[in-house]
Amino acid sequence: MSSTELLDQFILEARECLEQIGQRLLDVEKNPGDRELLNDLFRQVHTLKGNCGLFDFKPLERVVHAGEDLLDRVRNGSLAYSGDIADALLAAMDYTAELVDLIATEGSLPATTEGRAQELATALRRHLAGPAPAAAASPGTAPAAAASPGTAAAPATAPAAAPALPDWLAALPATACVAGHTALRYLPDADCFFKGEDPWHLARSTPGLQHLQVRAAGDWGSVADFDCYRCNLELVVVSDAPRAYIEEHYRYVPDQLSWHALEAAATATATAAAPDSASTGAADPAAPGPDTAADGDPLRELLRARIARIWDDQRALLARPGIAAGTVAATRRTLAALIDGWDDAALAASLRATLEALPAGAAPLAQWALQHRPGAAAACDTTAAGGGAPTAAAPGASALVAPLEPRRGSSGGAGDDSASGGGQKVLKVAQDKIDRLMDLIGEMVVAKNALPYLANRAETVFNQRELAREIKTQYSVINRIAEDMQHAIMQVRMLPVGTVFQRFGRLVRDISKKLGKEVNLVIEGEDTEADKNVIESLADPLIHILRNSLDHGIELPAARMAAGKPAAGTLRVAARQEGDRVILDITDDGAGIDTDRVRAKAVERGLIPADRACLLSEHEAVQLVFLPGFSTAEAISDLSGRGVGMDVVRSAVERINGSVELASTRGKGTQIRLALPLSMAVTNVMMIETAGRRFGVPMDLIVETVRVPAEDIHHFKSAQTVVLRGRIVPLRALNELLALDMPPRQNGDGEHAVLVVRLGSENLGLLVDDFHGTSDIILKPLEGVLTGITGFAGTALMGDGSVLMILNPKELS
Amino acid sequence: MSANILVVDDAATVRMYHRKMLGDAGWQIEEAINGVEALEKVANQPRDRPFDLYVVDINMPKMDGYSFVRELRRLGHVRQVPVMMVSTEAQAQDATAAQDAGANCYLVKPAKPAELVLTAALLLGDLPAARQAGAAHRAAGGTA
Repeated sequence: MSSTELLDQFILEARECLEQIGQRLLDVEKNPGDRELLNDLFRQVHTLKGNCGLFDFKPLERVVHAGEDLLDRVRNGSLAYSGDIADALLAAMDYTAELVDLIATEGSLPATTEGRAQELATALRRHLAGPAPAAAASPGTAPAAAASPGTAAAPATAPAAAPALPDWLAALPATACVAGHTALRYLPDADCFFKGEDPWHLARSTPGLQHLQVRAAGDWGSVADFDCYRCNLELVVVSDAPRAYIEEHYRYVPDQLSWHALEAAATATATAAAPDSASTGAADPAAPGPDTAADGDPLRELLRARIARIWDDQRALLARPGIAAGTVAATRRTLAALIDGWDDAALAASLRATLEALPAGAAPLAQWALQHRPGAAAACDTTAAGGGAPTAAAPGASALVAPLEPRRGSSGGAGDDSASGGGQKVLKVAQDKIDRLMDLIGEMVVAKNALPYLANRAETVFNQRELAREIKTQYSVINRIAEDMQHAIMQVRMLPVGTVFQRFGRLVRDISKKLGKEVNLVIEGEDTEADKNVIESLADPLIHILRNSLDHGIELPAARMAAGKPAAGTLRVAARQEGDRVILDITDDGAGIDTDRVRAKAVERGLIPADRACLLSEHEAVQLVFLPGFSTAEAISDLSGRGVGMDVVRSAVERINGSVELASTRGKGTQIRLALPLSMAVTNVMMIETAGRRFGVPMDLIVETVRVPAEDIHHFKSAQTVVLRGRIVPLRALNELLALDMPPRQNGDGEHAVLVVRLGSENLGLLVDDFHGTSDIILKPLEGVLTGITGFAGTALMGDGSVLMILNPKELS
Repeated sequence: MSANILVVDDAATVRMYHRKMLGDAGWQIEEAINGVEALEKVANQPRDRPFDLYVVDINMPKMDGYSFVRELRRLGHVRQVPVMMVSTEAQAQDATAAQDAGANCYLVKPAKPAELVLTAALLLGDLPAARQAGAAHRAAGGTA
């Protein structure tokens, strides 16, 4: 069975679940009382575990299963959620994510993961065994046990596996004695409830549980002396799991266990099973009892046994109080279907006739189902209620037997899932498919730009003016469609910035804990949308900024109290859209930037002369942190130190055409504002000409284009400036910056073309030879031997097949 | 015409698994991700082409399997459709709760392919499919 598709689906969903789980764990920590959150958290873990079951990823399943058990206890209120539990769960889920990644790359899990998985599962289960509220310990167990005073001994402690057949096995129904399975008697201490143990839960969660039986361990004594807080139970468990697993499960109560390995035995007829005949061990449930309609066809017998079982399920269903009319009808229909499966046309026909003749209502149907119960397969009798309430007790059973569906093994399978749940509203598409679409539309935008050239050639070279005009008309149509298409695809790529914010909760929690600080993270505007690439390249700078704030900004609680601030600092990340930009404000109410130290550091590192440092305004001094090689951390911490600082943030943000602004008030806090383009897929550039060559300049860097008479340019030493609307703008010749050995050229009127570009908060005028039109291009980063060249943002392919170099003025100056 | 089965489960992986297993047996599969969506699908299904079987998970957001079956049993023409509940918990209480809600059958997830198909076939009265699945089940070492 090909299972790659199912596996892909599994990995996809597992990652989703893990992301949700991580988020929910933090949410729950904030609002431990919110049952809805807790339920959602549990459900995610539950789903993950359920999915694991479809494959054979034991280590993964083990960790997740332990997490599920733990959360189940928390959810049903028998265990209080605590920071320790959260830590254990977070650690476990981190490892789970690693395992999922491993599965994604390797397709399977190496055996080496077993150890760590075991460790984490144990860590989780340790909390499970931890003290539970005494009141919640055993409400369900005591009455159940009280129902049937049993035979066996007082809580004696029998050490491991007795080779002889122990008498506690005698009460086990033969069907439960399957060769190779392990039987286990668990006699909990009488005062186990006071030790926070939950024997019933422990037994029920036994790995590989096949059968579980409970009865009183000793005499209940007189009613007057009855002590409901004393445990008087004997639990007998049959499991198909390896003994080591079971031992691990019961590792806190090893002295209360007796073991027995069930052996293979030939006597299949032992099914009818007087209790003491169980000593002969296993009966193969596949082999029907002697009274089964034995026509020798094993397949037919299998089907009939199955039918009998489902039939009994229907009878149990009909016997339930308050059964809905709809359920009765469904049961009737199910019974009719079961008759069809009986493979005996004559019998089926007659049965169907009597069924159809029945009056409505549950009682007649129940009566009918009892009368016409198909071929009494003995093996099925014991499970009359199919896991439901034991109806008329099994003969001679003084013990309360809870029949259980055996745990199913795992298996894989392929599938061809269409959309998510067939939901028409949302379609999940793999990222690379969208990227492919984006690449294609990029190529199309460039290809369509060839048409005007073609039109031009038709007119000038071939003298086909009419054809040229038609090509141009056609071009405008294609152009419009391409633009619409591009816009539509861009919309698909828009993601809420919240996808990046999600990890902040965990990050802030971990770091603040490590630093001993208290921090409230406030996130706003997580629905604001931006292009996938923008969002992706945003993650690292944002994390760096947050780390800085936590590390250097927000003070220790004591220092905050001393400064008259609340002990817990606030870190706010707010996103909003402004025009074609996404604005992100990261604000903290910490100590702010110590400008004296910043100045001193900058001078010490030789980044700025001492005399200039003194002249800087407070605001300018703050900006020094953006200088490459600047870091104020006294000791390099493992959080935000390492010698990389805000300059890395700035260059990362500027790489995607964003900008960073930093403002800080000492003692009050710091504000960092990132402004980012909504999308970076298509860049609008203006083409300029200098020294006979054409270059592109991204439009969003261009402030204005002006023609300045040569005499208006002021020369001061080697610097040139021009005054534009009352502001002095420094001028540089592009030729000079590009090391092109040509003087700037004037036009016929003695004017210079000046392209004013924005460099951070400053403007710079570039002297060029001429301006040309603008064009939408797909910016390709410099590759190969060009990678090391500074001053260029990348290249673009033009419609006529030529390559345009796109300038990056920030690196030029 | 082949039978129409509605698979209700919030886990996409499980839905895919069920779709594959039951679909390969020759039945038409529809999916819903929770009880609410399942009820919508039930309501929007053409009257002459109702579902013949529901395969329902228990723990789902918005509306769980129990509530879905309870709601289903109150509806008119579709309420008599058999329900197979499938959930990960091998616990007696879940089977009981499934019965309380009105499920006709309870299977532990993940059910082996043959197991799943066999049970579905019997609930649908589809003898050929049942024989085939039964044979596969036996071949895989399964028991009655």
